[in-house]
Amino acid sequence: MSDNIVTFKGTGNGLTLILSDKTDFDSLLGEMEARMEAAGSFFRGASIMVRYRGRKLNPAEEEAILKLLREKSGAEIQGIEEDTQEETNYMAGDEEESQQPRLKIKKFGYFKGIEEGQTKFYRGTVRSGQLVSFNGNVVIIGDVNPGGVVEATGNIVVLGTLRGVVHAGADGNKEAFVAAFNLQPTQLRIADVITRAPDEGDVRKDMVPELAYIKDDLVIIERYLPQK
Amino acid sequence: MGEVIVITSGKGGVGKTTTTANIGTGLALKGCKVVLVDTDIGLRNLDIVMGLENRIVYDIVDVVEKTCRIKQALIKDKRFEGLYLLPAAQTRDKTAVKPNQMIWLCDELRKEFDFVLLDCPAGIEQGFKNAIVGADKAIVVTTPEVSAVRDADRIIGQLEAHEIENPKLLINRVRSDMVKRGDMMSIDDIIEILAIDLIGVVPEDEKIVISSNRGEPAVTDGKSLAGQAYRNITRRILGEDVPIADFDSEDGFVVKLKKLFGIKTN
Repeated sequence: MSDNIVTFKGTGNGLTLILSDKTDFDSLLGEMEARMEAAGSFFRGASIMVRYRGRKLNPAEEEAILKLLREKSGAEIQGIEEDTQEETNYMAGDEEESQQPRLKIKKFGYFKGIEEGQTKFYRGTVRSGQLVSFNGNVVIIGDVNPGGVVEATGNIVVLGTLRGVVHAGADGNKEAFVAAFNLQPTQLRIADVITRAPDEGDVRKDMVPELAYIKDDLVIIERYLPQK
Repeated sequence: MGEVIVITSGKGGVGKTTTTANIGTGLALKGCKVVLVDTDIGLRNLDIVMGLENRIVYDIVDVVEKTCRIKQALIKDKRFEGLYLLPAAQTRDKTAVKPNQMIWLCDELRKEFDFVLLDCPAGIEQGFKNAIVGADKAIVVTTPEVSAVRDADRIIGQLEAHEIENPKLLINRVRSDMVKRGDMMSIDDIIEILAIDLIGVVPEDEKIVISSNRGEPAVTDGKSLAGQAYRNITRRILGEDVPIADFDSEDGFVVKLKKLFGIKTN
């Protein structure tokens, strides 16, 4: 029965506490402490944001939980706040949408198979309004036109001209890269870094195979066949 | 509280997006705080005409689905202070936005801006209904063609059914040389059929094609005839009394010179 006083739930962006409102705050805090002792320093070294739901907390109670987490979890706790995500989703309404779940940036637990892993091969041109989205790497055998979007949790390779929008490492992997025979994207994103071409740039006509990756939170673009 | 104006036409290709971009830029030039909203989900163009395509991160669908805040989705224009764009989504369709969400969006935007201009999609289906549901006023764009005027008439009927009173008429791509020869409907012919107030006449101008491709609205071009027409329309929206100019003909300068010397031109 003590299970449902407090539940720890790891999410992509941190930790969510589901708190019972059937018990008084002190026994809730005691239960949390006991559970964390048992779990050991599970979160050691991580930097996480803590959200809670299921119960309203006043600032003093929030502070008490924050203190406990900082002492016992071994993680660097950025802060604590009420989890309002469910409510906002509810407000947006209209659940019947068959919309693809869009990829979200996660701090940990993101796709790591960029050396080798799940890969989707897409044959044909990705035209305006088309979205190729995959949990893994994506290889486009064709062009990506302006208005077309390719997003992948891993790498994106375009065997053609890339003119549209691409998002590699779309759930947070900053090691992901984008490579194309001709790299002219409207916008290029890797993990949470977004870049675009300068406004008054020279328009290149020649085909130069190029590779884009992140270094120190900046997108670097370089030829991957230096001799050509 | 700002005004929400929908720019609509029924028929495609008559210049809704160009008009939205030019009037919006014109109002910003006059010091107004303006947001342009592209409601043509799945076939967005306004971002391209404004030259802001490569800045899009969030769009109108993200806003109504609360994936992001309105401020995050607004793109600041690269040239003019106080001018913003809320782009449409390209990988979704018209059903991604519901009428009640549009009403909410328009009400939020009108708190912040003097003018909210909605670029309406062609047609009279869901996209059109979404675009007009939150609007206070409407500008109906037509060209001097029987088909465009017919569709404009249909649209005016729809607007009246949705209680948007007194839509204003904008006649685009007028070629006065053809009108003179009797090969094109005249402004009077069109007004006689549609029976609504005229807000402006925009002459055919090849500079529009150039400026749209470059992403720089023609209203900023002092030499463009269409740009001049859009500047006049902007002033009329702001309540100034500007007479409808007679854009005599393409080779206006030579004709004027001949007139100056008393040479008969026709």
